[in-house]
Amino acid sequence: MLFKCPKYIFGYALLVFCLASNKVFAQEIAQVEGGFDFIQFIGRFHIVIVHFPIAILLLAGFLEILSFKNFNSKYRPSINIAVIIGGISAIFSAIFGYILAQNEEITGQTLDLHQWGGIVTAFLSLITLLLLWWITKKQQLSKIPFYRFALFAAVLGVAFTGHFGGSLTHGDDYFSFSKKEETAGKGQFLAMNSDSDSLSKENQIKLIGEVRAIFAHNCYKCHSSNKQEGKLRLDQEEFVFVGGKHGKVIVRGEPENSELVRRIKLPRNHKEAMPTKGKALTEDEIALISFWIEKGAPWPEGSLQPKLFRVAKMEPRKPVLPAPTGDLKNPIDLWVNEYFKNNKIEWKTKVDDKTFLKRVYLDIVGLLPTASQIIVFGQDNSPNKRATLVRQLLNQNEDYTQHWLTFWNDALRNDYTGPGYITNGRHNITDWLYTSIKNNKPYNQFVKELLSPTESSKGFVEGIQWRGTINASQRVEMQAAQNVGQVIFGLNLKCASCHDSFISDWKLDDAYAFANIFAEERLEINRCEKPIGKLADTRLLWQNFGNIDSSASKAEKMEQMAHLLVRPENGRIYRTVVNRIWKQMMGRGIVESPDEMDNEPWSQDLLDWMASDFVEKKYDIKELIYLIATSKIYQMPSEGVKSTNLLYENSYTFKGMTRRRLSAEQFSDAVSQIVTPIFTIKDLKYSGTVPNSIKPPFARASLVANNAFLTALGRPNREVVATSRDSQASLLQALELTNGERLTTVLARGAKHWKAQFKTRDVIIRVLFSKALGRLPNKSEMQAAQSAMDENPTQEQIQDLFWAVLLLPEFQLIY
Amino acid sequence: MKNNRRDFLKQSAATIATMAVGTPISQLLTSCGVKNAGTATADSVIVLFMAGGMAHTETFDPKKYTPFSKGMQSDSVLSTFKSMPTALDGVHFSEGLESLGKVLNKGTVIRSYVAADLGHILHTRHQYNWHTCYEPPQSVVVPHLGSWIAKELGPKNEVIPPFINIGQRFDVGEGEELKAFHSAGFLGSEYGPFMIPDPTKGLDSVRPPVGMSLKRFESRNQLYEKLVKESAMGEFGSDYQKESLKRSMEQAYILLNSPEAKAFDLSQEPKEKYDVYNTGKFGLGCLMAKRLVDQGARYITVTTEYVPFEGWDTHENGHTRLVGMKKMIDAPIAQLIKDLDESGRLDKTLVIVASEFSRDMLMEGRPDLRVLDQVEQPDIIEDIKNYGMHRHFTDGCSMLMFGGGIKQGSVFGKTADERPCKTIENPIKIAEVHQTIYHALGIAPETNYEIEKRPFYTTPDGKGKVAEGLLMNNKV
Repeated sequence: MLFKCPKYIFGYALLVFCLASNKVFAQEIAQVEGGFDFIQFIGRFHIVIVHFPIAILLLAGFLEILSFKNFNSKYRPSINIAVIIGGISAIFSAIFGYILAQNEEITGQTLDLHQWGGIVTAFLSLITLLLLWWITKKQQLSKIPFYRFALFAAVLGVAFTGHFGGSLTHGDDYFSFSKKEETAGKGQFLAMNSDSDSLSKENQIKLIGEVRAIFAHNCYKCHSSNKQEGKLRLDQEEFVFVGGKHGKVIVRGEPENSELVRRIKLPRNHKEAMPTKGKALTEDEIALISFWIEKGAPWPEGSLQPKLFRVAKMEPRKPVLPAPTGDLKNPIDLWVNEYFKNNKIEWKTKVDDKTFLKRVYLDIVGLLPTASQIIVFGQDNSPNKRATLVRQLLNQNEDYTQHWLTFWNDALRNDYTGPGYITNGRHNITDWLYTSIKNNKPYNQFVKELLSPTESSKGFVEGIQWRGTINASQRVEMQAAQNVGQVIFGLNLKCASCHDSFISDWKLDDAYAFANIFAEERLEINRCEKPIGKLADTRLLWQNFGNIDSSASKAEKMEQMAHLLVRPENGRIYRTVVNRIWKQMMGRGIVESPDEMDNEPWSQDLLDWMASDFVEKKYDIKELIYLIATSKIYQMPSEGVKSTNLLYENSYTFKGMTRRRLSAEQFSDAVSQIVTPIFTIKDLKYSGTVPNSIKPPFARASLVANNAFLTALGRPNREVVATSRDSQASLLQALELTNGERLTTVLARGAKHWKAQFKTRDVIIRVLFSKALGRLPNKSEMQAAQSAMDENPTQEQIQDLFWAVLLLPEFQLIY
Repeated sequence: MKNNRRDFLKQSAATIATMAVGTPISQLLTSCGVKNAGTATADSVIVLFMAGGMAHTETFDPKKYTPFSKGMQSDSVLSTFKSMPTALDGVHFSEGLESLGKVLNKGTVIRSYVAADLGHILHTRHQYNWHTCYEPPQSVVVPHLGSWIAKELGPKNEVIPPFINIGQRFDVGEGEELKAFHSAGFLGSEYGPFMIPDPTKGLDSVRPPVGMSLKRFESRNQLYEKLVKESAMGEFGSDYQKESLKRSMEQAYILLNSPEAKAFDLSQEPKEKYDVYNTGKFGLGCLMAKRLVDQGARYITVTTEYVPFEGWDTHENGHTRLVGMKKMIDAPIAQLIKDLDESGRLDKTLVIVASEFSRDMLMEGRPDLRVLDQVEQPDIIEDIKNYGMHRHFTDGCSMLMFGGGIKQGSVFGKTADERPCKTIENPIKIAEVHQTIYHALGIAPETNYEIEKRPFYTTPDGKGKVAEGLLMNNKV
């Protein structure tokens, strides 16, 4: 033992406590969330224990100074404890801190300084401990000066490291001695940092812009043109200073006497606290508003309504492609490579042929590869065989169409049955859509025909004419505006079709002006269901694309619109479609959600380049799919995520394809392929364009009416646009698959055929594995299956084997 | 960099807060609602839905009775049944609902429900409104009441689906319109309804497939589990896709194999009791609801089933048809209340009897917003088929509420005694009804989720107010 007991028992206890509490917390979290990262959690503990060395080593140093003359002063026991606890905690802080840095997205010079400081300090602490041990235990008093030197060095190290740690946590300027340094042009609320009494006009404009942004995000919901709770409006200068029904809310120069400041500062549970809904304002935001009022609440002329939300650029952009490097030639890979370099992500090796085959078949034609296709492909030695296969699949026109039809049906809310048909309030566009996909209609033409439709494609813009009185925001013209916005432009107009949007800069007038293009007669604007006595203008959402003749007929207006919006200058429309196709094949968009194209892409270059390339290649969707499917990144192993939320967080880092579930249609078709048809020719709602002489062996699920089975597996009721499907399995789905009538019946019927067709158990097992999983069973799988079946299996045993294999994650996932 | 660092500090704080209260992190991330479970007076809900429009003057709010006679004036008819006393002094129900009248001391009759104005009257649109609290159509798929409850509270018993819907088929007229609101919408299919179209076949939904013995079911599952373990997929490690697949399969297996599944088996009920409930599909649905609530179901709808022009949807022969409809509902609902009361479950189970709107002989819509008549009604009645409430009336509908913290032996609201028999006291709309249900369950009124960046509340804009007058602990 080092020293006498009580002194360091404490140290050990602390250590044990830290580790034990980590473990307990981690377990609790793991229970809650399933996929909790223990390492990451330990790392975060850094923040807690780091305060021990800071305080205690400083104390040790201080006491050491007091004992400078007499090493064995009355402080000695305290110093020893302090050095032990401080030293050990410094070492652990450094370890935890290192883990933290590996697990969080923090980089930069400050971190480097902090990290090296921490490591050096930990090292010095260790030396100090060892020296102290020598001195006290071995009585090597000659080491006292070295020990003291090491201790003071460690104390300096703590101070140095702590400073940069503080900067990381609280911001670079937190510990700064000179306030003015580096403040201009930096920071969220830059205007605050100007400390002269009078603000320059430029700074005033900046300041009011920031204040108004806070108002817009937090207050407009109840205090703007849409609603005036307490008769207060905060969206325009003249209203802000008039105040509400209780009088003025702002006293210029006196934040402490301003009602507004009082209310936003109240605790959340206080009756008068503002905002009543949503989050409380942050301290920074409150400080900024106070500062603005203190400065006399300037609202200078020329301060425009600020752009409050991120808006993606409209114009196309084609960044210069990086030079090919190594085995990377596909432009997609070159951009991904840039991204990988910046994010320190390694390329992995390509997946094997079998995995690639399953992916590419399901992604392009929605079917599984047959066992013989897998074998033949495996034996093919040509270097370009994957690209050749992609091309060949894209040329299987009917199969390709019957797969992609599902995606477009969801997006264009086209279905064979559903609300609206009962009174002819809805039009099916299947024939147009099927033919367009099959003929690989150039996307600009495709959109043109949707926006300026013929009889066969009018269903999309005509929408659903619901019976009875409906909300003004759901009138068919507004449905058209919303759906065209969402599907074609990745733009959410749903808010703005009822009131000025809270989530974008779109205004009610904009939405109505756009909807007016789809109207026979000029629409009257309704705000939150009440007419405001104003007729809508007629214009595109983006005026620089040209004007619509408001006096023209509906058909003419729509034709003008279609013509203007599909021009190549409209980068947004092509970014939107490129992103959608990418998401279909890679599991997660370059931008998420694909309906919110103003959100930030993980690679602007990739998105921009692909969109421009798409335009140059004559809007060819198949070429786009070819480009993606032949990229190296498409062929890398898929990524699993622990929770869907992680995919949509801002911190998302792209590493490759996300593992996906088979869609309802893919699963049904696969069962039809392997076992026996789930849907037969008489279930077909659309017979496709194949001449009747060639009868397909089964009905693809994309061509049959929705039903309980498909609904349970995630096919949406297409009364609203659906651009992605629920990816999580649920109890209701599992029940449908486990005891649902449809699957049970199909598997029983299939078992009967198989029993007649195949002689023995082992053959059945092998054939099923090959057909369903594209491989033979391994030894233990074979044994498991054998033990569940007789040598000459009954129909029931075959049926149960079907079931067990078809429900395997390996079967259900595209990985 | 700065922001990242701050964000994760906030996250750490959230993580620690999470550990302290033990709420799943996923809820913390997405829900903006604040549970106030401390105030909850109920933990399960049964909605007994009188689909098709139940006339208030013929059921729970009878007016002056005019017996049928050839040549009678249509405008003289307010009720086609006698008024009968209930357990409450001076409160009457219509003839044929005597059993229900006797249990009124256990609950409240609401006589002032005012349905929404949706123009030309359509059952499915009003039902959509009743069950989702939103007016159709919406730009997103909005969740059913049961889905909100399933999402916020989860299953009460892990193996019983939290939202069960008994009695409605979709392969009937307007089936597509019905599907539109039997959905969890943006909350995700996990919270969707577990549909039992026919309670006599309810057991089939929760036991191994028809014709499969339990032994075979077991060994099938064993085979599956072995293969999962051996499958090459294992090498890809776990992710939520695989995990959620496995988990849902396990849950299904547990349910299909659990003792609780017997709750779906009506044949387990003693014959005398079964017979009381057995007035047909609806009555047996009530029996199943009782059995399920005993086993820990969270939310159940039992519907008399909407089929155009059937059931409560009386476009002719209203009087004659209602004799049968009342027989169908009276004994089972009353028995349900009694049984829940005896088992002590009623204290925590909120039972609601409601319809999408009411009916009247002459008034279509409501007095100040009449809409196009859908039924021809002669001024002089010669044929008994014209004797009844055949037009759709929205301004005064009756509901019953029992248990779960609702006042006992009470009348809420009032309609006029002369035509139009519209609400004249304490009008209550769907948002208040929903908020009152949520309140009883301890679900905060401002519960909402951000969908396409917009907040969607349990009631539109989070506006509905709790109807305090319905609550037991309220002195109003």
